[in-house]
Amino acid sequence: MADNKSSAKEASKAASQNKKKIGDILLNNAMYIIILLAVIYISWRVPAFLGLSSIVNIISLTAAKLPIALGIGGCIVLTGTDISAGRVVGLSACISASLLTTTFKVFPDMTSAPPIIVVFLIVIVVGGVVGLVNGFSVANFKLHPFIVTLSTQLITYGVILMYLKNGTNNGQTLSGLTDSYRSLVTGTLFKIGNVAVPMYVLYAVILTVIMWIIWNKTTFGKNMFAVGSNEEAANVSGVNVTRTIMMVFVLAGVMYAITGFFDGARIASANANTGLNYECDAIAACVIGGVSFVGGIGRISGIVVGVLLLQIIFAGLNFLSVDANMLYIIKGLIILIACAIDMRKYLVRK
Amino acid sequence: MEALLRMENICKSFPGVKALDNVSLTVKAGTVHALMGENGAGKSTLMKCLFGVYSKDSGHIYLDGKEVSFRTSKEALENGVAMVHQELNQALKRNVMDNMWLGRFPKISKWCPLTSEKKMYDATKAVFDKLDVHVDPKTVMSTMPVSQRQMVEIAKAVSFNSRVIVFDEPTSSLTEEEVEHLFRIINMLRDQGCGIIYISHKMEEILRISDEVTIMRDGQWVATKAAKDLMMNEIIRLMVGRELTNRYPEKDNVVGEPMLEVKNMTAEYSLLRDVSFVARQGEVLGVAGLDGSGRTELLENIFGIATRRSGEVWLHGKRMMNRNARESLRNKFAMLTEERRATGIFGIRDIQANTTISSLPKYKNGPFLSDKKMYDATEWGIKAMETKTPSQKTQIRSLSGGNQQKVILARWLLTDPEVLLLDEPTRGIDVGAKYEIYELILNLAKQGKTVIMVSSEMPELLGVCDRILVMSGGRLAGEVDARNTSQEEIMTLAAKYV
Amino acid sequence: MSSEERDGKKPYERQMRGLYDRVNLSVGTLNRIIIVLSILLVAVIAFAISKSGYTVTFDSQGGTAVESQERMYGDLLDAPEDPTRQGFVFTGWYRDPDCTVVWDMEGEEVAESLTLYAGWAEEPSDVGNDSVLP
Repeated sequence: MADNKSSAKEASKAASQNKKKIGDILLNNAMYIIILLAVIYISWRVPAFLGLSSIVNIISLTAAKLPIALGIGGCIVLTGTDISAGRVVGLSACISASLLTTTFKVFPDMTSAPPIIVVFLIVIVVGGVVGLVNGFSVANFKLHPFIVTLSTQLITYGVILMYLKNGTNNGQTLSGLTDSYRSLVTGTLFKIGNVAVPMYVLYAVILTVIMWIIWNKTTFGKNMFAVGSNEEAANVSGVNVTRTIMMVFVLAGVMYAITGFFDGARIASANANTGLNYECDAIAACVIGGVSFVGGIGRISGIVVGVLLLQIIFAGLNFLSVDANMLYIIKGLIILIACAIDMRKYLVRK
Repeated sequence: MEALLRMENICKSFPGVKALDNVSLTVKAGTVHALMGENGAGKSTLMKCLFGVYSKDSGHIYLDGKEVSFRTSKEALENGVAMVHQELNQALKRNVMDNMWLGRFPKISKWCPLTSEKKMYDATKAVFDKLDVHVDPKTVMSTMPVSQRQMVEIAKAVSFNSRVIVFDEPTSSLTEEEVEHLFRIINMLRDQGCGIIYISHKMEEILRISDEVTIMRDGQWVATKAAKDLMMNEIIRLMVGRELTNRYPEKDNVVGEPMLEVKNMTAEYSLLRDVSFVARQGEVLGVAGLDGSGRTELLENIFGIATRRSGEVWLHGKRMMNRNARESLRNKFAMLTEERRATGIFGIRDIQANTTISSLPKYKNGPFLSDKKMYDATEWGIKAMETKTPSQKTQIRSLSGGNQQKVILARWLLTDPEVLLLDEPTRGIDVGAKYEIYELILNLAKQGKTVIMVSSEMPELLGVCDRILVMSGGRLAGEVDARNTSQEEIMTLAAKYV
Repeated sequence: MSSEERDGKKPYERQMRGLYDRVNLSVGTLNRIIIVLSILLVAVIAFAISKSGYTVTFDSQGGTAVESQERMYGDLLDAPEDPTRQGFVFTGWYRDPDCTVVWDMEGEEVAESLTLYAGWAEEPSDVGNDSVLP
């Protein structure tokens, strides 16, 4: 549209057009500019921020938060969202930590941990079931995903609390995880210098590749984008809208479960607050990464960049010893600005 | 008489369509000015430019000689320009006076910011008495018939001391008696010196009530004449106005054996009742009728995207269930929907995604989609339809309406359909592109497909179809041969069950 | 189907903007909102940085009170004077009230605001000290 206008108007107005274009670029990238400035400032104040261990730390954190963002990204492509994500992560972490442990507080009758793959499948099924409930309600009752996932968020939280009351645990933090579980997730993938890169970075890369294939190379992926950009037209075009929506949410649930499975081992413990507010970071990351609430728009690469940028700024603020309470305010503002910028990009000028 | 409202050289473009092209309209005080034109002629767009719903691209609007440019309909209302909508936008759960004074509730006094029910009641009553309307201002809106709700809307316009009042199809849901009452009110307003803009399709009404008539066609001003100089035929000629020669490609499709049979189609949630017909191979079957006569519903029920109560679809002597779009697709049906932007295109997706969405399984290599196959299919679609697009990766919303329609047609042709259901295939498309669409339709028929085409434009049906089904009030009113029928015959049939 | 829709309201007005379908803001207003919010974000970050520092509080769990300490990221804590409690022996500082995760004063760096909890074992004259061990 801008092109049309500039060609139509006289040359004298070209300068103001140029100015406007620069303004457009500045506004559309305001978030990246702020983050860049913050990074420059932080690395000037604390040079260690750009050190090897700090960078590996940021990459590890990105890897840990990536699966959940990849899951939520699909929901946002459908113009929805999913606020049950964090609690599903928590539930999955608690289940993993309660089974792959040496103390068996939740299940006092057990004596040895089941095979890791079994536990992994269990949490995937649990995550999938929560996703199925979300997807079913969204697809069939046409409820807004916010309402549906709010209810499953509460239900899942209740289940976590009940689960932790089980056996002799009495609601306490689960710890004492088995070595095999911990080393599978946090073991050393390879070392750069003397800084170890944990295994879950590899897993995150694998998941990213899988999700990229699903989004770009399968009928399901194409259908997802079609439903996101115009549900009615998708239905008329012979897309199974209901099944597509349900599959997106189930896939998301599975991704949350995997996040939880990694988180249990990564943090070496799990309690009722594990995964709290993870969905906020994930949604923010998606919106920053260009997955738009306009629906039908988004790229896996964008999500990766979004998660990375968020982790960079949070790690940086952490280096400056900024209090966690302030981080909440900053996170909220980041989401708000990201949405406003996203909106700006797609508002059609009347 | 002086000009109360002058709209000069208004232009407005939407992506792909020039909706208004240098349209001018002058309304004098104390007159009723009728605005006429076919659907899509730009009447409503013109009014929306007046009320600031759309911003005009160029042109000027003068009210009492002063240039105005309203940004919202509220601003227009405050300046004495009001509109009585055909679709009443009212707070139905609230009562009459709440609706009348919405947004400007009278205060008890300057010092007391509480709203005064009494003032509101009295003021409402006063306006109603003036208009000879007998409605208790405390009646809840939803309990009143449409005609009375419309009176409330008019009363609201009067209460703003509006000088220009626009009536948009005001009589479409009124009984004869109510129409008389409405006309009394309009005449009264006119005598008080208001300028009335009256939009309607009903020519008898127009000729009866209006002083002047402006006719629009394809977003352009055609004529403004005194109503007493106009005959009904002349209005139609001016409204339709096109020459019928060369607007349609030569018909050389061969109609074959019966292929599709629809028996007793009755819809669950719309007025469609008991429609049966047969369509032949290689035939273009038109469906005519007024708005709301069940044309679209018929196609939707055949295609399975509306809930069917009863009725059967037979193709080649086999019963097709067509319970949803997917099943219909498998049964080789295809449907082009009426609202292209709402239910046709995926605006922000590119041409390739829009073309391939209905036939994705065709492009699989093992479990994954092959970029090359999708690229080739899209390339075929662009070539076969002669779609004008910079590339496959262009967002479809940046194309013109005609090219969007071609992309959707290509989408459906890639599913190898035998029956094509086309609902208003040329809606919102420039005249040149229409011709290309007609050609495509006839080519499809020549390939032995059955095309069923709904259209509001009668000349189009007469020019392209072999036979025309006429719907009226949800029922099949008749079937005519397109070669030896006339618009009058179709109109008569269309009014059969109204 | 009304004539309003037919004249193009629906096709043109429904721009398929997903969650933003009903947004009526002008782009200019939105620009201002983005600028204001961005400035606000920068200000909040600046404020947060100016107030930086983590507070480590010590919960002596019934023992004598211990003063909290202010630390920056990556700092070590100064080991405070051991608190005392009648009938109990101080066993160290822990991350959790149940005293399962020990905080290593010499090795662990502060990376967030936190509270450390005192661990207590009953006087050795009594035998049972099961309530304390990790």
